[in-house]
Amino acid sequence: METVLSIQDLSKHFGRIKAVNNLKLEVQKGQVFGMLGPNGSGKTTTLGMLMGVTNPTSGKFLWFGEEPTPQLRRKIGAVLEHPIFYPYLSGQKNLELNAMIKQCPVENIPKVLELVELTERKDDKYKTYSLGMKQRLAIASALLNDPTVLILDEPTNGLDPMGIAEIRDIIRKIAANGKTIILASHLLDEVQKVCTHFAILKRGNMVYTGPVDDVGKGSETVEVNAEVENLNEILLTFPGTSSVNRENGVYQVTMREGHHGKELNRFLFEKGIVANHLVTKKKSLEKQFLEILAEAH
Amino acid sequence: MLQLLRIDLKKLTSYRTFWIICGLYFFTLGMATASGMEFLKWLASLIEGFGQSINIDRIPLYHFPDVWQNLAWSSGLLKIMLGIMVLISITNEYSYRTIRQNIIDGLSRAEFLYSKIATNLLLSLLSMVLVFFVSLVTGLIYSPSLNWNYMFNGIEFFPAYFLEVFAFLSFALMLGIFVQRSGLSIVLLLNSYLIELIIKKNIDDYVPQVIQFFPLESIMNLVPMPFARYAFQEIQDYVSLTAVGISLVWIFLFNFFSYLRIKKADL
Repeated sequence: METVLSIQDLSKHFGRIKAVNNLKLEVQKGQVFGMLGPNGSGKTTTLGMLMGVTNPTSGKFLWFGEEPTPQLRRKIGAVLEHPIFYPYLSGQKNLELNAMIKQCPVENIPKVLELVELTERKDDKYKTYSLGMKQRLAIASALLNDPTVLILDEPTNGLDPMGIAEIRDIIRKIAANGKTIILASHLLDEVQKVCTHFAILKRGNMVYTGPVDDVGKGSETVEVNAEVENLNEILLTFPGTSSVNRENGVYQVTMREGHHGKELNRFLFEKGIVANHLVTKKKSLEKQFLEILAEAH
Repeated sequence: MLQLLRIDLKKLTSYRTFWIICGLYFFTLGMATASGMEFLKWLASLIEGFGQSINIDRIPLYHFPDVWQNLAWSSGLLKIMLGIMVLISITNEYSYRTIRQNIIDGLSRAEFLYSKIATNLLLSLLSMVLVFFVSLVTGLIYSPSLNWNYMFNGIEFFPAYFLEVFAFLSFALMLGIFVQRSGLSIVLLLNSYLIELIIKKNIDDYVPQVIQFFPLESIMNLVPMPFARYAFQEIQDYVSLTAVGISLVWIFLFNFFSYLRIKKADL
């Protein structure tokens, strides 16, 4: 596999505050890499360093195995924090300017405008755009040079549900083309839906990294309900039960490692109990995220 | 460098404020330098009101070779307008945060600065060319006779005028990069002469020899004020190489400080 980005002990300190602390990270080609973390955990600072606008305090990083240069940055499309354009220029002119900076042909502009559905408004001044349109123009600008890597920082920030769905569709389309995407977000649902890998930052430290598919491995939770008086006690007698909670009118059974909902179902059936509700719940990324953050210090 | 100039012009040429200020500047520059005779007529009528009279035809404002230094010096007074334009252009990049996006998109920090310096060079060059043509045309109109031997004496004031404008714009650019706020930087630019004057007046009695090394002073010394010669006073009617040397050092320093600041900043 080809390493697109390799971060080696990268740190950024603002006075006493360690915004990013000895970060080590690798992103492989074709990954959709989610960077998670609460506000102020160092996501944007990290991306700022990767894109040359924030000077690292120490450490280094390699893009495509090379030391970072402005020429390399032109191969990376990036939107950090919020869209930035010249408000008095039209969308089209802003993109023309970006094409000059990235040294790519202006013929790419209609294509990216079409992708983000801004063709009709391209000659209007940027300052007249709605927030969703601004975000979409930013994505268009990031895609202008047909980059191999795309960095998106909170691309759905401040959007309405429709806008969020639109942006998610665009990200999916791009990911389907085999591009590497680094996505910083605190919308965990979002990350779980589009990402293949993720890392969690907390106060500048990386506390977890792994594939999204691994989320939900380990102990399962099974939701059970049946019309039996002492269901609670019966569930506790099942050898695979670790604990039982009653929540929202159903019993939440946390299973021991290696035990599954199927066995519980069989166990109840053998006891002569027919469940009217039995659902195996995988742990959501959100739950795992909160657990990891709670554990990390 | 040309590509960088094109990038910066792309930002400016769709910016209405740029056209208003630059249009006003070049219009004023052309008109003010060309209307000196009208000014003299007005002056004469004013003086007549006091019962005196002057013969304006005896003031060779537009005669070769006086015209070069006269107009180069007068034009220098208007460069403050260009300075304000430069401040707006650079501080906009900070307030819109587009400097950050430019770097993300693949300009190096140095290239970003070069694109601004390239525009400064272009504006200085255009000013010089415009004033040169106004001088040439008015000189041809008003000079009673053309003598090729001395007609172009003093033409070296144009490269000096170019340096004067460029040095001032470099100063404005540096101010904008350090202050980053348009309002405050414009106020500082307008007051910088006053601030320097106060310092100069205070050290005049002790170390007058260092005054010529002051940044704005050195810029002013490039094209010395010529009009005292019409009151029969001795003037410096040549470009002082010392002044050129000092200004060149300042031009380098202004742009170098800008470079250091942009290099080190977290944008």
